[in-house]
Amino acid sequence: MKTCNTTCPYCGVGCGVTAQREEGGLIRVVGDDSHPANAGRLCVKGTSLAETLVREGRLLHPMSAGRQTTWDHALDLVAQRMRSVREEFGPQAIAFYLSGQLLTEDYYVANKLMKGFMGSANVDTNSRLCMSSAVAGYKRAFGEDLVPCDYLDLEICDLLLIVGSNAAWTHPVVYQRIVAAKQKNPHKRVVVIDPRRTSTCDIADLHLQLASGSDAYLFAGLLHYLCVKDLIKHAYVDAHTQGFTQACEAVADLDISKVADKTGLPEQQIETLYSWFAATEKTVTLYSQGINQSATGTDKCNAIINCHLATAGLGRPGCGPFSITGQPNAMGGREVGGLANQLAAHMDFAEEDIDTVERFWQATDMAREPGLKAVEMFQAAAEGKIRFLWIMATNPAVSLPDTVQVRAALEKCDFVVVSDCSADTDTAAYADLLLPAAGWGEKEGTVTNSERCISRQRALQQPIAEARADWWIIKQVASRLGYADNFAYTSPADIFREHAALSAFENSGKRAFDIGALAALSAQEYASLPPTYWPAPVDGISGRLLADGEFYTASGRAQFMPVIPAMPVHSGTSDRGLSLNTGRLRDQWHTMTRTGLVPRLMRHQDFYSVAVNAREALRLGVNAGDVIELRGNAARVRALLLIDDGLPMGQVFSPIHWSDQFSGDACISALLPSVTDPVSGQPQSKFASVQLYALSTSLWGICFSRDKFLLPDTLYWSRVVVEGGYLTLMASANGELAPEVLSCLGATAQRCVEYTDENREDYRYISQRDGELRFALFINRERDALPLRNWLGSLGTQSLAVESSRLLAGMDASAVDSGRVVCSCWEVGENQIIQAVEKGACSVQDLGDVLRCGTQCGSCVPELKQLIQARQSEQAA
Amino acid sequence: MSQQIIIVGAGMATAYLLQALARHQHDLRITVIGDEPEACYNRVMLSAVLAGESVAQDLQMLDTQVGAGAVNFITGTRVESVQLDNKTVCTDKGETLGYDRLVMATGASVHKPDLENSWVGGVQELRTLRDAQRLRNIASHGATAVVVGGGLLGLEAADGLNQLGFSTSVLHRRPWLMNRQLNREGGELLQCKLEKKGISFRLEKSVSRLVLQREKLVALELNNAEQIACDLLVFATGINPNKCLSAASGLETDRGVLVNAYMHTSQQHCYALGECTQLGQQCFGLVAPVRAQAEVLARQLLDMDGPGFELEDWPTQLKISGVDIFSAGQLQQPGEELVLRDRGAGIYRRLLLRQGRLVSAVLVGDKRDASWYRELIHSAQDVSGFRNQLMFGRTTCEAMQTAAAAA
Repeated sequence: MKTCNTTCPYCGVGCGVTAQREEGGLIRVVGDDSHPANAGRLCVKGTSLAETLVREGRLLHPMSAGRQTTWDHALDLVAQRMRSVREEFGPQAIAFYLSGQLLTEDYYVANKLMKGFMGSANVDTNSRLCMSSAVAGYKRAFGEDLVPCDYLDLEICDLLLIVGSNAAWTHPVVYQRIVAAKQKNPHKRVVVIDPRRTSTCDIADLHLQLASGSDAYLFAGLLHYLCVKDLIKHAYVDAHTQGFTQACEAVADLDISKVADKTGLPEQQIETLYSWFAATEKTVTLYSQGINQSATGTDKCNAIINCHLATAGLGRPGCGPFSITGQPNAMGGREVGGLANQLAAHMDFAEEDIDTVERFWQATDMAREPGLKAVEMFQAAAEGKIRFLWIMATNPAVSLPDTVQVRAALEKCDFVVVSDCSADTDTAAYADLLLPAAGWGEKEGTVTNSERCISRQRALQQPIAEARADWWIIKQVASRLGYADNFAYTSPADIFREHAALSAFENSGKRAFDIGALAALSAQEYASLPPTYWPAPVDGISGRLLADGEFYTASGRAQFMPVIPAMPVHSGTSDRGLSLNTGRLRDQWHTMTRTGLVPRLMRHQDFYSVAVNAREALRLGVNAGDVIELRGNAARVRALLLIDDGLPMGQVFSPIHWSDQFSGDACISALLPSVTDPVSGQPQSKFASVQLYALSTSLWGICFSRDKFLLPDTLYWSRVVVEGGYLTLMASANGELAPEVLSCLGATAQRCVEYTDENREDYRYISQRDGELRFALFINRERDALPLRNWLGSLGTQSLAVESSRLLAGMDASAVDSGRVVCSCWEVGENQIIQAVEKGACSVQDLGDVLRCGTQCGSCVPELKQLIQARQSEQAA
Repeated sequence: MSQQIIIVGAGMATAYLLQALARHQHDLRITVIGDEPEACYNRVMLSAVLAGESVAQDLQMLDTQVGAGAVNFITGTRVESVQLDNKTVCTDKGETLGYDRLVMATGASVHKPDLENSWVGGVQELRTLRDAQRLRNIASHGATAVVVGGGLLGLEAADGLNQLGFSTSVLHRRPWLMNRQLNREGGELLQCKLEKKGISFRLEKSVSRLVLQREKLVALELNNAEQIACDLLVFATGINPNKCLSAASGLETDRGVLVNAYMHTSQQHCYALGECTQLGQQCFGLVAPVRAQAEVLARQLLDMDGPGFELEDWPTQLKISGVDIFSAGQLQQPGEELVLRDRGAGIYRRLLLRQGRLVSAVLVGDKRDASWYRELIHSAQDVSGFRNQLMFGRTTCEAMQTAAAAA
């Protein structure tokens, strides 16, 4: 068995993984002990990576207008359309929309082609949706996009503020590092600032459940507090910053009572936070989408950074404003300049930078103005201004706000190219040309994680079918456009060296992003490149970033930004009105094109659901499990209702992962209006005004099937993958369900084994072919009367010794149901855990000893604790 | 002095009575008089004998202990008359035997429609072992057999003939087979299964005339004037209780010999048992009630207390190998239907519920849990709590209830 170290393609933690493989396939993936990000740890998503390397769902061949074509033809077509659109409508009519899933090398080549040779800066990326406010915040304050912290700071700080992040679910390994550090250091305090009480609060000494979007008040108020209490580090401020006075003036009226008023927090809690912040030397503020995805996200970032500048809380171990990114290579994209308002290698559209890059690239048609940011780009497409759009490795039809408009734009755009490893995405449906991209495990390159650590992704196997690396595809197009000499790369190593050389080109300390030391890597050195932090200038070791108090602004001083906080604006309210909050689920990733392939990742939370708290549900007259409709932005989604008492009144939470491929009317981004931050262009994905309505259901159905199917005309449907097939849950408002489903499955009731109890509307159908179960469909007017998910979800693995007529019972008379899966790593169910607690397990440790739950990635530990508590208080009562 | 019991008839009812008596200590002297050469064999298995699946010995219902012990069998002998006043019977051998108590267990005969020439060779019945053996001796190859009557007995006979090699068809007056025990869908599935075995069917047809050639049956003319070839005709159009001897002896009879719940006839010391009896309006053709009668009668003969015989809906089972049929309860009631169909496997199960109680069960192709359904029908237990799993049997229902209780 061979092993290969590579990097996980999911969140921004960027864990090293060791893939163990055999001839013909990947066996399993474990954490890489030697990687600084995770030191062997891995979350359940990473652990399941081997299960995503399947043929299912992959785009295998270039497809032109729905027909398979050759690479030659496809590449000619791209080049020809790019050229003709550029000639006829100008360079501004072409655009690339990239992704934080791309490798740095792919990103670099795409960016170079567009900005250096097409004369357009219309290159933007889905990272716009994720951390562009953080970038803008850093740039305003530091003069460059610099994340001045690393994961070690999270461990060694004495006070950690986690703001707008459910790290326990979204960055599990970093969270586990924090948990471990807190266990070691009892004085370490963790404050979670989040409108939701999430799993991350499990380790919080203080949870500030503030009003959605009011974070800037809290941090602006903190600056005010620091001023008033004279807790400013004046020496530092005087020596290394500018704009302090204006920043203080801007917050002059934000005393604690005003902050309390705006945030809805008790003054006592605010006071506690402020006093801890003031009293703790080593403080890190870790922030993520809850801060960034806002109409005032950049200001929020600066409100945070201001406080760290005022207390000299950066440039030292255990300190700093730390933006953690969502994607595996958002940082790499930032480094190559993959955002429309960046040029390359942390250079912008200043005349000098343009000149530098132009010379370096020997560019023939240099972009001289920033291009269109993501939301603008699609608006331009809708207006007919973008006529050629190349989307790589992302699914904007699901992930951008106002997806109805985005889809209209894709419809309208003359020529849409989609390079992706997945065949069935909502975006692919709009493509004129589909290009099969190599996926994780098939490509070579680098990624940069949230702590500026560059790691190699390595190929474990050949690309499937005709899939090709993105850099190769772009290079081929560039060659066809006449730039073969400028894109004469033969390997990712060539590209990486050029990228590293550009970072060092005429740099001499002007730009912090300098990886000149890597510009001369041999092929062998590139192949074995260990995780490397930047800066890595050619002339030696760089110390801690910003340690010297020198910044990258014109003056060399850090800039305090005067922040005048603002609340998100509700558009119209009614008694059914709620504010929508969105986010990730623990075991899912983006639009589930990969995680959606892995059965065990679908067991923690399965069918598309949105959550409100119990009191809110009562007020709205809805119950857990009801089908509800959320309306807003002239669109709707339909979901099951979950009760989550961690949510505040007035808020509904929806996961972001669902698309038309998995659920009917579940694209939550459709409800988000295109409200963006004026500085960063980042959409306000954490807040929208919506109304919630209960929908009446007359019939429920659940189906195990070998094949997937969509039910566009059904009130509600949602599908998850299980071993050997799929489970689809569905509900209808009136009328029958069976005929439609059976017809989707190419069957009729007559050809099934069927059970009917018409008076109860209890209908069950089993179909087998050649001794293999094809599907099992159960319909009932009561959802509770449908078979248990665990039983139905196991049918794909059963050898069919079980006769059809017995399967119609919808249960296994001999098995005990283990319940909803809580620990995905070891597949331990809720019922098993409750039983173990009843038998005397009284700690997470005990449960781990008995059931192994919580002993791998640890992300279920908060839930395990809750279950123990709930059961114990039940027993006590 | 111990009592002398005479049992007239040596059929299955008698066998059950002897079995029931043998379970007790008693000093009864028992004489069984039967007109067939064999006594106490399992008539239900005649079609298996016909088919060659069983031989005569397999049908023997009494083990040697019962047979050879206290019971005196007089076979091949008919009782010609009964003198109730002096408690004697006279046989066709001229013997007169005295009794203390008499049991009439004279069985039933095939009900034959009133047709001309039905005496001719080629018109048969399947009622006795001898019938079966005779049928086996008829050259079956290339010959056509027609069974009239698509009920239990007719189908069993048809299966036997079919296996014997006859080209066999069944005429049935009703639109589907076993119409008293099955609904249309069940009957149709049954027909399907039997067709697969090679039997053909003509439904809603009856015989209007026998067509002879040289005094030999060659064809049947049906009520629609169609003629079908027929070398062998077997009537299975129901049974009539054999009541003549009883009636002639002065017992009260109607369609059968009238009895009360303790199997008493209208005369003291005289009982009746089995297919010859009539309780209220009911006559009996199935094994289960006859067995129940035998139990009751045994207690009477032993002067023991015990419950009387109760009318109930006895389930029906078809004994054709590979064709499982079970029917219990009252089929035609209005109610709520639960249906399971597996057309590929030839399974049809229909449970009928009324007011939360199971009132009928029709099981074709899969008889599992038949006796449980029978109990549920009999006990009229409320099944609403496990209605959704009722179809799938007792184990499943119990597992579901256990799981529900645990949750």
